[in-house]
Amino acid sequence: MENLDYARLQMAFTLGFHIIFACIGMVMPFFMVVSHKKWLNTRKPVYLKLTKAWQKGVAIFFVTGAVSGTALSFELGMLWPEFMKHAGPVIGMPFSLEGAAFFVEAIALGFYLYGWNKLPETFHWITGIIIGISGVASGILVVSANAWMNSPTGFDVIDGNFVNIDPVAAFLNDAWFTQALHMTLAAFAATGFAVAGIHAFQILRNKKPELHKEAFKIAIFFGAVAALLQPLSGDLSAKDIAERQPVKLAAMEAHYETKKGAPLYIGGIVDEENKEVTHKIEIPKALSFLAFGDFDAEVKGLNDFPEKDLPPVAIVHYAFQTMVGIGTLMMIAALIFFISLKKKSWLNNRKYWWLFAILSPLGFVAVEAGWVVTEVGRQPWIVYNIMRTSEAVTPMPGMKYSFFLYVAVYIILAVTVTWLMKRQIKVLNNSIG
Amino acid sequence: MMLYVVLFFTFFSLFLYVLLGGADFGAGIVELFSSRNDRQLNRDTIYKVMGPVWEANHIWLIILIVILWIAFPVYFNIIIIYLHIPLTLVLLGITIRGVAFIFRHYDAVVGASQVWYNRMFRFSSLITPIFLGMCFGTLVSGKIVITEDYSETSFAEIFMFPWLNVFTILTGLFYASLCAFLASTLLIGETTGEIRKLYSKKSAIFTIVLVIMGGLLLAYGLWNKVVFVQDFLSNAYSLSAVSLSALILIPLWKAIKEQHSLLTRFYAGFQVLLVIFAAVNTHFPNLIITSTGDINMMDETAPDSVIRVLGISLIIGGGIILPGLFHLMKSFNMISIPKNFTGEDD
Ligand code: HDD
Ligand code: HEM
Ligand code: HEM
Repeated sequence: MENLDYARLQMAFTLGFHIIFACIGMVMPFFMVVSHKKWLNTRKPVYLKLTKAWQKGVAIFFVTGAVSGTALSFELGMLWPEFMKHAGPVIGMPFSLEGAAFFVEAIALGFYLYGWNKLPETFHWITGIIIGISGVASGILVVSANAWMNSPTGFDVIDGNFVNIDPVAAFLNDAWFTQALHMTLAAFAATGFAVAGIHAFQILRNKKPELHKEAFKIAIFFGAVAALLQPLSGDLSAKDIAERQPVKLAAMEAHYETKKGAPLYIGGIVDEENKEVTHKIEIPKALSFLAFGDFDAEVKGLNDFPEKDLPPVAIVHYAFQTMVGIGTLMMIAALIFFISLKKKSWLNNRKYWWLFAILSPLGFVAVEAGWVVTEVGRQPWIVYNIMRTSEAVTPMPGMKYSFFLYVAVYIILAVTVTWLMKRQIKVLNNSIG
Repeated sequence: MMLYVVLFFTFFSLFLYVLLGGADFGAGIVELFSSRNDRQLNRDTIYKVMGPVWEANHIWLIILIVILWIAFPVYFNIIIIYLHIPLTLVLLGITIRGVAFIFRHYDAVVGASQVWYNRMFRFSSLITPIFLGMCFGTLVSGKIVITEDYSETSFAEIFMFPWLNVFTILTGLFYASLCAFLASTLLIGETTGEIRKLYSKKSAIFTIVLVIMGGLLLAYGLWNKVVFVQDFLSNAYSLSAVSLSALILIPLWKAIKEQHSLLTRFYAGFQVLLVIFAAVNTHFPNLIITSTGDINMMDETAPDSVIRVLGISLIIGGGIILPGLFHLMKSFNMISIPKNFTGEDD
């Protein structure tokens, strides 16, 4: 493999790592403040215990998110210096606002973590809300930078230089809204299901069921609402892509031949050599409908794009199928949850809790898969139709070593954080009361 | 006009990162060079004192980087390519240090693993500012080799030697001692009784270390004809600034002896300001000195439209953040800490 490949792998690995912590850092504070509010309203100790347990989780995830994010803000430049040299000023606005949002978040976190019994109760609780809001704001802002890479606007290219820069137009690019909406929902869905699943598992083990049921209720509520909206938002994204990035759409669907009334494939094995898909289930005309809202619309196939502009098809296709498959599962689980609010007897069925326990990690699998669709689907461009990834990479040789260093450090980190979370739960289960 | 706003925030972030982030690193260094018993005291003190602002202190670095890449893209490009390796080491240090700090205070079980968290925290507190100082040193060392032609020069000549030499190591050690000095001085004001005496003593020691390191750095630079050091010593303003900072050592020393919390802090902060001013003033705006010439950070700044938006964002952001930060510090730090305050979970 070449230097470029290692740089890409390193970027993918570190972003894939960061996104998990970022999602949790965006969403956990909301669970925490809901539980906190319930404590303030009812004064039931179980809520206080839960709030404090979640607060430790927030602190640990925040810091891991922050250090991996700090590394990323350097990495963008270290791995892709030519990209940052040209694009940096254009996408600077969301990043500088993001910096402000982080600051607000860090300040609010300082107040919240250290404010117990020191600050007025309501003010203390509000600082918790500010953590959540600024976290979501920073998520939305970074996604705007990424959306610009998919849908570059707000500048002209003259002799390889980016001129006439309009940072506000670049910030509010075409892809921004759909991507930010989808990402925010994804964070809530993935974190909600992950946290709910962990507590469902504790309920199955019959450890402190009252406490874990409260926790489950709070987390799944956020997760389920998001999971119901997610397919709708995904459909918006897909329609958007059909307009803006037709190659990506074709790769997502492994759609080789340009066709009117194009079919949608479910599953299937992509044969990139022979440009065909085998072992698939075909739904006639569905792709045309999903992409353009018209059963007979023409969908351009991969064969009609120049070879040198094609992304890796198989990866993008499989990733997209994974995301949509999981999205469908989560939507069904969300419906089951809402029905169980009426049918209380379901809560005594172990299968109910097993369902959520098993779904626990899947939201994050979908998040990773979705990002693979977005990022790999954009290849070979780093800035769509403007700059190729190969033109952006650092001239420094030896990226291989850098990649393995990051992998080693982050794997150790991930293992340690998982271990710490297990300890938190154990301590929570063994606590008195 | 807006360019000056941006420049102001650039150096303001640099200053606050060197000062606050530095004090933060320094707290770990002080702990590293303490006796067993003092270490435990230090651990608890910095959790109480630094904890609430801990994360905020480090965001100045992110702000600095973001401003550099937006407003000074060409300049940033050189830093980020040629300092790739030391910056990676800095990041590694920041990562280890950040997680060790949070692990040691938020692990639900306080057990044998604490030993490792503590070791990781102290060690990374020392090496991170050393590497950071080496990065600063590299920029002005005159050793960066800028080339497009990789057949003539080896990997080591471009990516290793410029940052790994006696001069940069001395700047690294100088910055690390500055951090330790800052931490012990700031902590005087945050503590009482026995612990306070301890920090007074440490502060005195690290002041001496700092002065020695500074002297060594200048002497080495002069001896080896490092352009930056020569210019530094022949620049009237820079010289007056360092002389003033040396003079301030006297009242600082007195304030330390008297355990005066506000004054020690003020003098220490002012001193950092003077040192940064002296360093930046020497060569501004040619803040990178390569083997083949200077690079002017004001050349090829981002276009006006970008600078304008950035400047406005910074003013608004600053307007929200600074009062918040101030309030945070006031709530937890500057006001004396009640004896029974244990952070949380009481
Ligand atoms: C819980 C996670 C999750 C779930 C259940 C879904 N997605 Fe998703 N999807 C993401 C998480 C995600 C993501 C990781 O957050 C992405 C990556 C970039 C982005 O903005 O969101 C994404 C991207 C993404 C894109 C590419 C956007 C682009 O490149 O600009 C499309 C077309 C869809 N999604 C469509 C769907 C559809 C039709 C779903 C139907 C169920 C779906 N997603 C479920
Ligand atoms: C879609 C992708 C991303 C999302 C949704 C996201 C979101 C977030 C969130 C919510 C946080 C706060 C951490 C927490 O509360 O736990 C965070 C931290 C951070 N992120 Fe990301 N991020 C993404 C990608 C990036 C990228 C590409 C960069 C680099 C340029 C970056 C830089 C940072 C930095 C510097 C921090 C640390 C801020 C601090 O110290 O608090 N992020 N990110
Ligand atoms: C956090 C969620 C994200 C994940 C999991 C992710 C994943 C990936 C992956 C898999 C690649 C490699 C693609 C390839 O080379 O085949 C990549 C590349 C890249 N991503 Fe992302 N990405 C995320 C968000 C972002 C954001 C928010 C930004 C920018 C602000 C960004 C900027 C880049 C850049 C600059 C590259 C390298 C150039 C390229 O390969 O096109 N990414 N990312």
